[in-house]
Amino acid sequence: MPAISKGKVILSVRDLEAEYTSRRGAVRALRRVSLDLHQGEVLALIGESGCGKSTLGFALTRLLPSSARVVGGSIIYRQANGTEYDVLKLQPESLRAFRWKESAMMLQSALNAFSPVRRICDHFLDTARAHGWNDRAAVLQKTADLLGLVQLDAGRVSGAYPHELSGGMRQRVLLALALLLEPRILILDEPTTALDILTQRTIIDLLRNLQRTLGFAMIFISHDLSIAAELADRVATMYAGRIVEIADVYDSFYRPAHPYTHGLIRAVPRLGGNDQELVSIPGSPPDLVGRAAGCSFHPRCPMATDRCRKEDPPTTAVGASHLVECFHWERVTSAVDFAEEG
Amino acid sequence: MQFLSSFLVRRILRSLFIVWLVTTATFFLVRLMPANPVDVYINQLISQYGMSKDEAYNLAASLFSIDFNQPLLVQYGNYMVNLLKGDLGNSLLSKGTTVLSIIAKFLPWTLFSVGLSLLLSFVLGTLLGMVMAYKRESWLDHALSAFASLMTSIPNYLVAILFIVFLGVQWQLVDIQAMRGSLSPGIQPSFTWAFFSDALYHAAMPILTYLVTTIGRWMLTMKSTTLATLGEDYVTVARARGLPDWQITLSYVGRNAMLPLFTLLTISLGFVVGGSLLIESYFVYQGIGFTLGEAIARRDYPVMQGVFLMITVAVVVANLLADLLYSKLDPRIRIAEEG
Amino acid sequence: MAQLARKDEPGQAETPQSNGAIRFLRLMRRNRVGFVGFLFVIAVLLLVLVGPLVVELDTKTHVDRIYAAPSWEHPFGTDHQGRDVWAQIVHGGREIIFVAALTAVIATSIAITLGSLSAFVGGKVDALLLGAADVVLTIPQFPLLAVLAGFIKLSNTTSIAIILGLLDWPVLLRAVRSQVLSIREREYVQAVQSLGLGTGHIIFREILPNMLSYITITFILGMTGAMYAQVGLILLGLVPMSTNNWGVMIYLAWVRGAIFFKDSILYILAPIGAIALFQLALVSTARSLEEVFNPRLRVGE
Repeated sequence: MPAISKGKVILSVRDLEAEYTSRRGAVRALRRVSLDLHQGEVLALIGESGCGKSTLGFALTRLLPSSARVVGGSIIYRQANGTEYDVLKLQPESLRAFRWKESAMMLQSALNAFSPVRRICDHFLDTARAHGWNDRAAVLQKTADLLGLVQLDAGRVSGAYPHELSGGMRQRVLLALALLLEPRILILDEPTTALDILTQRTIIDLLRNLQRTLGFAMIFISHDLSIAAELADRVATMYAGRIVEIADVYDSFYRPAHPYTHGLIRAVPRLGGNDQELVSIPGSPPDLVGRAAGCSFHPRCPMATDRCRKEDPPTTAVGASHLVECFHWERVTSAVDFAEEG
Repeated sequence: MQFLSSFLVRRILRSLFIVWLVTTATFFLVRLMPANPVDVYINQLISQYGMSKDEAYNLAASLFSIDFNQPLLVQYGNYMVNLLKGDLGNSLLSKGTTVLSIIAKFLPWTLFSVGLSLLLSFVLGTLLGMVMAYKRESWLDHALSAFASLMTSIPNYLVAILFIVFLGVQWQLVDIQAMRGSLSPGIQPSFTWAFFSDALYHAAMPILTYLVTTIGRWMLTMKSTTLATLGEDYVTVARARGLPDWQITLSYVGRNAMLPLFTLLTISLGFVVGGSLLIESYFVYQGIGFTLGEAIARRDYPVMQGVFLMITVAVVVANLLADLLYSKLDPRIRIAEEG
Repeated sequence: MAQLARKDEPGQAETPQSNGAIRFLRLMRRNRVGFVGFLFVIAVLLLVLVGPLVVELDTKTHVDRIYAAPSWEHPFGTDHQGRDVWAQIVHGGREIIFVAALTAVIATSIAITLGSLSAFVGGKVDALLLGAADVVLTIPQFPLLAVLAGFIKLSNTTSIAIILGLLDWPVLLRAVRSQVLSIREREYVQAVQSLGLGTGHIIFREILPNMLSYITITFILGMTGAMYAQVGLILLGLVPMSTNNWGVMIYLAWVRGAIFFKDSILYILAPIGAIALFQLALVSTARSLEEVFNPRLRVGE
């Protein structure tokens, strides 16, 4: 079993709340989310569309769109030299310095991540200059190195305009750009969703190698469980704006404690297995406007009881660093064990 | 030649075609239409001035630069050759003046006023458009949008009259009489400030009119392109990269939002040049529009023909320059063609 | 950005019996400026069509009342011959609007026919028509009109409309063509095509009805261009002055130097105001119609 938590905590999210404004009222996209990110670890955020995982990703660097805002909680970041500060309280200049240098974010699709009228190398130079690194030659050298690291021909790519590169190439350039300032955290929003299978494989391999070599912590957001299984050290399952389960990757997949996680895993068809029925989770995610009592998953949960409807489930520790929010987690784990034996 | 992408080559060919088309059409229209000016003129000479048919034909031939003895196609050939040599015929009413000299005398003033106003209009319009986009739904945005909509709807020549009525007559803010003409009497064209400031003084009202009636379109279009650009991924990524706001606004948003505006240049230019017929007449600003207006009123056909041709050529060349500039600014056009 | 499960907004209560006209009006009302413009257009149309039956045109000269100030009797004062300006405004719109409408009809018809053909047939025909449109667009329109009017004698309003219409179509053609192109790719058109129905049938029975909204907007904008050209020609003195319409009023004012008198301001402003406001109203209506027919453009949704 791999080490569950490598090194110190570098990011501490506590009770984070975020809302979107809509005509019907405030949509509570994040409802008191808490998690810790350790140095060099890979954390996967999985869940359905609309569970808030992307919102969480954007909130971490305060990149939410103007229709959304963070309304509570804290995001404490600890720099390499030990200084700690709340990202949410940073002044604009400090926030600019924090972004990309400490924590870089990659969007889902890199197709449009670059300004059409600026060359690739200019994007690197702009970024470096914005963080006070004015040595043009050194930046260009590093750019070439990074492009090589992501398996691109630096000579051709560096001076090119974005439209001259394919989608997969742009994804890799964005990855190289993200690593320019050697951030300690890399956040990836659905890194492979917009790509074809072959490019997906390339990117996943690249990510794994780069992460091992350079040692940055990675949060990647995905609804694709297979990537989580491949890359992650820990997996956090999100549902309706809360983290309902967080565990190391083996526990998540082999011993899930939350009915939703269990349902997600069962919904993935298996290669080479017997002809199983495809099982999906019935129903749809809840309306996030307003405050509903009880567990938000209960309408779709096969194990829901009256208690689930009325009371908020507490956070329970299932094992070492395995947390779950469910009244009936013991029944879930035993159900899984039973299924495996069968 | 790497300088000329195939995009540009196509544009140049198209421009040449248009010029050729216009000249040919003018030639045949003038000759072949039933109530064409040449016949009318000849009849007039015969009936009103009592000339003989031969005399009338000879006079008409010299004035219109036509050789009636040759077959039509040969006449056409001569006509084209003459055009290329710069011979556009002579004015009917100002005897002895070539059309070319008239054009040379008056065209620069229009180029000056129109060029300056379009430049100002573009720069101010794009800046205001960005302001409107950034301050969307604020009172400033609403006020500017209303202004822009209003000014693009009113015909530009009517705005000229309104300026005369209000600024000149009612409120007496400017001295309309003194601003007539393109230059004050006695000032000679030279590279001095005195000349330039005098030229500006006289061109001020036309420039103001063009400016006010074209800026609205730039403002509204720039606002919408800026809004669209603000939603683009690369702006979000630029923020994520920690770039300073001013750089994002200028290099990432502005630079991209302004590109689609180049297609408006054709329309704006045509609009302004068209309006100049009346606007220059109202302000008594002796440019090419004024000249054409006069020629039409006095039925001075060679001048009408020649000036119209020149206006078309000028507009076509301006469009070509705009296309050239655009291809330099948008790498997607330039490089895609180089292959 | 984050994907959220967004349930369908209920929006306006749409009962099954919702009257099409009422819905239309309600949607128009969303854009306040556009709605006002729309009302203004209707008001002006009523004014110029019905007004002349109610308001009498004063044709005699009243020397004692030249450029009189506005009064109850003469809301806009009088002109250089002492005649009531308001009456002239009421009577003077009909011809202008009629010619503008006629021009727009001609231009829109040409644009629709050629645009649909161009989009539908594609290939060389398309390239040819686009090229032609491009050429007509590049040539400065108003000088061309003025020169043509100088060469040809414009006898009646219809010939004016025809010439204007012949020059107005390129912009509309482009717009129609792109609309048709987008509709052509839709399944129901391909379904009809597979049934073997002819091109004409497809254009006129399937595509055009769906473009009705777009055609209306194009028509309205065509009217504004037509008015610009028409009034411009009048001001150049190239159109026979049979009746006293708004354009002629301005022309006469200019020719008589009324611009430079302080007292005659209303005589000038009235027709200019009428034309300018009508143009503005047309443009706002068109823009508002765009929002009605294209829900994606609606702000604040």
